[in-house]
Amino acid sequence: MEQLWELFIGFFRASNLAFGGGPAIIPLIKTEVVNNGWMSIGEFSEGLAIASSLPGPIAALLAGFVGYRVFGWLGVLAALLGALALTSILVIVLTDFLMRNSNSPILKGALTGVRPLVVVLVAKTAFDMGVNSFSSIWSWVIAGLALICLQKFKLHPGIVICLSMVFGLIVFQ
Amino acid sequence: MLKKVWEVFIGFARASNLGFGGGPAIIPLIQQEAVTRYKWMTEEEFADALAIGNSLPGPIATKLASYIGYRVAGWPGVIAGLLATLISTFVIVILGDVIIRYSHTPALSAALQAVRPVVVVLIAQSAYEMGKKAFPKKYRSTWAIAVIALGILFMTNIHPGILVVCAMVTGYFAYGRKSVQS
Repeated sequence: MEQLWELFIGFFRASNLAFGGGPAIIPLIKTEVVNNGWMSIGEFSEGLAIASSLPGPIAALLAGFVGYRVFGWLGVLAALLGALALTSILVIVLTDFLMRNSNSPILKGALTGVRPLVVVLVAKTAFDMGVNSFSSIWSWVIAGLALICLQKFKLHPGIVICLSMVFGLIVFQ
Repeated sequence: MLKKVWEVFIGFARASNLGFGGGPAIIPLIQQEAVTRYKWMTEEEFADALAIGNSLPGPIATKLASYIGYRVAGWPGVIAGLLATLISTFVIVILGDVIIRYSHTPALSAALQAVRPVVVVLIAQSAYEMGKKAFPKKYRSTWAIAVIALGILFMTNIHPGILVVCAMVTGYFAYGRKSVQS
């Protein structure tokens, strides 16, 4: 029981102190893992390696990996609740309030002001990821082909992702 | 109703399980489902939800799943969106030991290396799509907000939530009052 509580609190702390999505949460989860003695650093790194090779949000993947090793499925539940419950409820309440009142001139103005910022934030994310993603000339070829597939042929992003993985098996291996 | 819940589940299952590279990689895929495919919301509303999401802590994919699920189908929608987003989490729990054996194979790292530039293109495209709606001709000064925000982001480590609040306050003073008068 105490271990479940520790998992809940540990992931609650890590997730709610981390701004900037998954990547910002990783070092905080690592701290919790070490301080609570849930697993060795080596084991955690192994978990991080698999989490990064799977799709989906990294923080939730790590909550599943760590939670299960500490306390089985109940541990997974405790860690996930800790990581997700508060921020999920907050985002629902806040966004719902915003959308309900989005016709008020005050909020209309505020939203007009925030939209350019969101564009910049997302573009910055692309830039930050881009810095680490273009390891060879093939990366640029893939990016170019992806752009053509998406814009000209209107392929679904999922199909482009799958195609790129097959392409990677050929050129990067 | 049940159909909506199911659509939320399928939409987020597709988005989350094709999003390699964590939360940010999933954003454009959610946009594809929510705006383009199911038309649950407009491009502007997606940007607004993203603004709120960015100013709260925690993983962005589950925040978007919660809000969009709620909007489309109430609390059952929230559960459906979250469960779908967490499919890979259940996979890591059940198959963790098996995956560890393959996580260092050259084939997997080659495939993941090739996905990364695509993710960058998708996220950039996502910014572009939102950008089409974020700079209305009526308010050219929105460009100034973007340029200033870009400068601040590259020069400081400021928390995006603070920027979101600042941009909203600026927007209120710059555009909110005008529309009252007109």
